[in-house]
Amino acid sequence: MRRFLVLLLVLSFVAIPLGGIAAQDEAVLVVGLSEDYSRLDPGRAYEPGGSLVYHSVYDTLVTFPADSTSEILPSLASEWTISDDGLVYTFTLRDDVTFSNGDPLSAEDVVFSINRMKNLKDNPSFLADTIASVEAVDDLTVAITLTAPDPAILAKLVFDAFSIVNAEEVQAQGGTDAEDAAETDTAEAWFNSNSAGTGAYVIESYEPTVQTVLVRNENYWGDAPYFDRIIIQNLPETATQKLSLEAGDIDIAMDVIADQLPSFESNPDITVFSTQSDTLIFLLFNQDPEIGGPMSDPQVQQAVRYALNYEELAFLSGEGANTPAAMVPIGFAGALDPSEGVAQDVDMAKQILTDAGYADGFDVDLEYPDFNYIGTDFNVVAQKVQADLAAVGINVTLVPQEFQTSLDLYRTGAQGFSLWLWNPDYQDTLDYVEFLPGGVVGLRANWTDENADQEILDLRDQVKVETDDAARIDLFTQIQHYEQESAPFAPLFQPGVHFAYRSDLQGFAYNGQWRVDLTQLSY
Amino acid sequence: MSLYRYLARRLLLLIPLLIGISLVSFLISNALPADPTAANLGERAAADPEIVQAFRDKWGLDDPLYVQYLSYMRNLLRGDMGTSIRSHRPIVDELSKYLPATIELATFGIVISILAGIVFGVISAVWRNRPIDFIVRIISLIGVSAPVFWLALLGLIVLYLRWGIVPGPGRLDARVIAPPNVTGMYTVDSLIAGQWDVFRNALAHLMLPSVVLAAYSVGLITRITRSSMLEVLSQEYMNTARSKGLRERHVILRHGLRNALMPVVTIIGLSYGNLLSGAVLTETIFAWEGIGRYAYNAARTLDFPAIMGVTMLIAVVFVVTNLIVDMLYYFLDPRLRYQG
Repeated sequence: MRRFLVLLLVLSFVAIPLGGIAAQDEAVLVVGLSEDYSRLDPGRAYEPGGSLVYHSVYDTLVTFPADSTSEILPSLASEWTISDDGLVYTFTLRDDVTFSNGDPLSAEDVVFSINRMKNLKDNPSFLADTIASVEAVDDLTVAITLTAPDPAILAKLVFDAFSIVNAEEVQAQGGTDAEDAAETDTAEAWFNSNSAGTGAYVIESYEPTVQTVLVRNENYWGDAPYFDRIIIQNLPETATQKLSLEAGDIDIAMDVIADQLPSFESNPDITVFSTQSDTLIFLLFNQDPEIGGPMSDPQVQQAVRYALNYEELAFLSGEGANTPAAMVPIGFAGALDPSEGVAQDVDMAKQILTDAGYADGFDVDLEYPDFNYIGTDFNVVAQKVQADLAAVGINVTLVPQEFQTSLDLYRTGAQGFSLWLWNPDYQDTLDYVEFLPGGVVGLRANWTDENADQEILDLRDQVKVETDDAARIDLFTQIQHYEQESAPFAPLFQPGVHFAYRSDLQGFAYNGQWRVDLTQLSY
Repeated sequence: MSLYRYLARRLLLLIPLLIGISLVSFLISNALPADPTAANLGERAAADPEIVQAFRDKWGLDDPLYVQYLSYMRNLLRGDMGTSIRSHRPIVDELSKYLPATIELATFGIVISILAGIVFGVISAVWRNRPIDFIVRIISLIGVSAPVFWLALLGLIVLYLRWGIVPGPGRLDARVIAPPNVTGMYTVDSLIAGQWDVFRNALAHLMLPSVVLAAYSVGLITRITRSSMLEVLSQEYMNTARSKGLRERHVILRHGLRNALMPVVTIIGLSYGNLLSGAVLTETIFAWEGIGRYAYNAARTLDFPAIMGVTMLIAVVFVVTNLIVDMLYYFLDPRLRYQG
């Protein structure tokens, strides 16, 4: 009898997985994601992975095409005008939009959403720095007045943090757009399991670090999406994402790394999409001689740029990686063609070092965060830099640091020579003025208005307010040529970014802002 | 000394111990040469002095350390472990969500370890130097030495992808809705709710991760059991028992195993503590949202309140497990009951 029971127990264990749960009739999309967001309040939106959710649940005034960020398209605003001085943007709202609870969209909702985001003083608030005021002209007209012309304002308005929320509903949940919103707004917890948007889906549940479930918004103003339900499942390990995709448990793997690509090639059920990411991996040289030592010398900086083998560096990061010509990544308007980039020239590098008085070379530390970012191992990249520089007589000692420690030193401008990365805050080339004197990254290299050339300062000041597209591109071209000659940075590469999905999934398109528009997918 | 007095004394000793642990972990996490401001504010917000100051004020980062510690302890006494800097959610809520997941996994793991480890150990000792002994010793060697990461992926590739007999990562299939929350352990909650489908799904999801998690302690318990059994088997009283005409199985299990269990119990206690606190890799690979992953994420983002919370929790778990082990000694070894 006892043996029989044991046998029965064993059999029941084996049989368990075969049973499973009865398939449901509804169309469900399951996305595997290494989740990096810790909350879902659009006014505090900043974490990249959150875009998948925000873009499905909320709409913004204007938007990008599905597969690029090169153009501004209407969304909640059907049209807009810009005043001659470039300071007032007047948007006309669509008159057929309702929120998920049925309330009609009005100009007051836009005013509330933008003011709340600005006044929460959270991570994305800086995006509203150039916004002086937002006013409802009438029920369906909104005027945004700027403090100074901002050529990037429309691109910024596409960012998740400018999602338009239902003012009345959010206020009922403790939300406020008052100036003291940072202290008094209490809607965040509510936003973690509810939504108040006009998008194709609504949030059904959000279990942090487990899964986010979206269901179709029955009051959606646009075409109804194909899937009844979207499940974004947190799969932190890329290897398990791959296995789950192959087994058919998920439809898209969002975090594929280059090493996995060959094994997908032989599988007809899986389609891979690869492109270069917006991430810019670069070297930083500190302009302060006390911190940077020889690295603060512009000639040494130039020599380093010539000493590096860019093709081999990009190769380290795998398929899809590419090297931009200067500090504007490939894919952004005005970026130089990669073929215009600095090419390796070891003799030139040695000559410049000799001219600079370093004929015998010198010793220097390379500081970097000891981590792996979208398949790029910083240790390996640093070793390659070390090898390239050794060939011109610069003896690099690698100093890997714990990430947070390194980040602290980097942000306070305390690193003399370091390896870092930058992701765009918004999808406009203007974000890359941060690499210029006085910019966020410029200051980390102690590149200030005081120690910079007047030429680059003038270019920077002009490009910040230039709204004419042709003139902007011309300015960015000059800036990048300047950076190739004289800047405390060396661009290394943009790593590849890879997605894999079930081959019969339709409508997959990549966009730098939200990556994949889940509302456009179907089987 | 009576059991109750012994227990009371042990419980009283917990208080200074936990205060010590809280102090040390507080000092260590605050002594790190890194700043939660940088870890939690974005590039731009961190460059805005106004936002940085508001952040520091909000989390009390500018207060002297002793003020921060005292206010932490004051809140702790009220059952408030603070708020996570990263997620803005109460730590108590987060821990109460992640701990049951780990307990569920670790409990399955330890049950597997105990059953397999003791059986293997006894077999190995009784049939010493026979082929079965070598097989068991190889299994235990693999268990102790194979990297968890490797075992987990191997298990997933073979049992999940190739053979399809275990489900993929996660505590439930993505399409299955979790049972109403009572204990936080899905197997238990689904039984309470009478949801058999969910129970089967949750149980199936537990299989591979708990076996992978148990691998190391199976190996360990097998080895300890084996050597302890070998020692006991050579004792005179074993022959005495045999000469009384007892059946061999009875001799080995009643007289042998019972006496060999003392060191095994110690290892089981320690293993359980380790399973509860050290499951980071297993939890990551299997997308199992437990304390191990929570601790890792807290450390990564310098989420001080979360680091403190999880450290205290693990400390309590270790201390309580040790206490239970000591209690077990008390029952297993009558001599302890007569010592002062």
